[in-house]
Amino acid sequence: MSVGRVAVLGANGFIGARVVEMLHLGRGADVRPIVRSAASYAPLSRFALDGRVADGFDREALRRAFEGCDVVVHAIAGSPEVILGTLRPVYRAAGEAGVRRLIYLSSASVHGQAPRPGTDDDSPLDDRQPVEYNNAKVRAERTLRRLRAGGQVEIVILRPGIVLGPRSQWVTRFADALLAGRAYLVSGGSGVCNGLYVDNLVHAIRLAMSADAARVDGQALLLGDAETVTWRDLYEPIATFLGYDLARVPRVPPVSAAEWRTRQTGAPGVRRRLRGLLPERVRRTISAAIGPSRPPRRSPWDIRAGGGPEATLEMSLLHTCAYKLPHRKATRLLGYEPLVGFHEGCRRTSAWMSFAGYPAADECANEAARRSEAG
Amino acid sequence: MSGSAAAAPVKVALIGCGAVSRLYYAPALETLRREGLAEVVALLDPDPRAVRHVSRHFRRASPVASVSDAGKAGAELAIVASPPRHHATQTIEAIGSGMGVLCEKPFATSTVDARRMIEAAAVAGRLLTVSLVRRFFPATRLIRSLLTTETLGPPLGFHCFEGGRFDWPVQSIDYFAPGGSGVLLDIGVHALDLLQGWFGGPEHVLYEDDAMGGVEVNCRVRLTFPGGVSGDLRLSRDWPRPNVYAIHCAKGRIEWPVNEAERVRVRFGGSPYDVDGRLILPAGAGSDQAIPAADFHRSFLDQLRNVIESVRGRERLAVPPEEALPSLATIERCYGHRRRMAMPWLGADESPRAATAASGP
Repeated sequence: MSVGRVAVLGANGFIGARVVEMLHLGRGADVRPIVRSAASYAPLSRFALDGRVADGFDREALRRAFEGCDVVVHAIAGSPEVILGTLRPVYRAAGEAGVRRLIYLSSASVHGQAPRPGTDDDSPLDDRQPVEYNNAKVRAERTLRRLRAGGQVEIVILRPGIVLGPRSQWVTRFADALLAGRAYLVSGGSGVCNGLYVDNLVHAIRLAMSADAARVDGQALLLGDAETVTWRDLYEPIATFLGYDLARVPRVPPVSAAEWRTRQTGAPGVRRRLRGLLPERVRRTISAAIGPSRPPRRSPWDIRAGGGPEATLEMSLLHTCAYKLPHRKATRLLGYEPLVGFHEGCRRTSAWMSFAGYPAADECANEAARRSEAG
Repeated sequence: MSGSAAAAPVKVALIGCGAVSRLYYAPALETLRREGLAEVVALLDPDPRAVRHVSRHFRRASPVASVSDAGKAGAELAIVASPPRHHATQTIEAIGSGMGVLCEKPFATSTVDARRMIEAAAVAGRLLTVSLVRRFFPATRLIRSLLTTETLGPPLGFHCFEGGRFDWPVQSIDYFAPGGSGVLLDIGVHALDLLQGWFGGPEHVLYEDDAMGGVEVNCRVRLTFPGGVSGDLRLSRDWPRPNVYAIHCAKGRIEWPVNEAERVRVRFGGSPYDVDGRLILPAGAGSDQAIPAADFHRSFLDQLRNVIESVRGRERLAVPPEEALPSLATIERCYGHRRRMAMPWLGADESPRAATAASGP
């Protein structure tokens, strides 16, 4: 089936930008990038495209932006409020504009960061997980199904795992943490990384655009790479590029959900959360009345190092994951097979790090030697 | 000129009321109004909302429909802060209407236009200058002095990175339309002006960018200056890396954190430590109270004061218009010999179209 014009929402983000780039350069489709503000269009201005500005909450602006489009790819990232709040305006605007199909980028994390062995696309979902992002994605999928039940626009829900590649936060966060001396591995990073190279995701999106509605409408499909790899496998080439020895990166123990809750609901955490419930004006008034909170004064003789890194719950779960999620359903319904292998993806990502200006090994080694000399 | 006339504020027209006027020129001109140096009398912008926004600063300013109307409103100085494609036309019109002009950077989109602007000012005997605020930063002045005196030995090379995610509050994506402002013509003007001020005119220029039918979001300029000083200028509207200009000298290294007007870092020889310095003006005799050097905002005001005082004939213009030409000429060399940056993440099916789109129509 031929595909008409494709609107990409969140086109300036990591995934959205690569969707635009691949569809445009790979002649996959006539693509229309849509961004929230004019400034955020900057990275897309490399191409001569018919871009639009529309806020994901603004149904009328979205409808205008979708005019003439056959497919909408929803790649808007953000807080749970953004994840949930943009669905209705987007779906209804798509319907009003005569869009045929909406491809929604959900996440494999609807099954949790460390899914139980045996989990697959059709496993039941829980929206009371300890990681709020997961709950938002579960609720988003449910909302979308309800909208589909009362609407004309077909939906395909894609559940990519850890999306990797140039500009991926999973790459750059670790690189930045290494450079800043804040990197860590939970349990040695031996857990399964349910990764998906970004080009493989775009390949799946392309397939989902034209797949037979009878097969894919309303379906949720897990997506992953072919190889089973660990977090350590992912981090190794990043560390090597930067000239770091992964063996020297601190190992930290995992934190349990209960410990995490305690950490989050300790006294300062409770205060923060309660404060968060108050309107901004009231918060300011209280702050003005009681003054800013100050950390306890430390003796100048206290030369303790600033404490080692502590794992977050999300990273603890990810780094201890024991199960590789399947993508059999995507293979069966879309004909999805990953195009880019893990090692080729790592090679391209390292090459992008060089493009982006990350310091390569020799530069880092010189700085490290100086710092070590300085004690 | 009588004493009272000398004290009269210079009447200013703000041509273009977009983000740069709203965020910089309007508050700066308000400060100068309070000092009795300037009075904004005319505001021009095709967007009435933009005019209204800026007019809050200037109750006596009138919205005008054309540059010549600004002259009729009595303006002596036009600040041209419109999109770059209008700079040449509006500057020449302002000069023809009897005004001096401070033109926002880039001075023009081509050296041909820039020369027309300079010639118009010379023929009419009007003041013309370009906003290159970084020249007024204490930090860039100190670096120039360190390089001129070879305090750290002769300069050997440099590596400059500037950019990050683009967050300038533009009103429309037309801002990025081809032929408009890519990253080189935007922040590259500042960067090349500084580098050429420090090292002279480049002997060799190699340029590559990532434009594929649109404007460049990333670019790299490899420059070789007289004496063999060479290095890379890397600009981006895409990905943040530490914004630093690093200059390697025989006996140390100078680093300038971009846009920190009063800060310089210096490494002496092979020392494991850097000096991270806030610049000050030395304390007067008998005082230990040093005066902080001008920050960004004070530097911006210094630039405007110099233009105002030059209009009144009380100061020499710090940036004569001819000094806008070298960086524009280098930018033209870059665009004239552009190559596509290697984009190693592209797949085999993308590269052919990327190459075609990059080579332009």
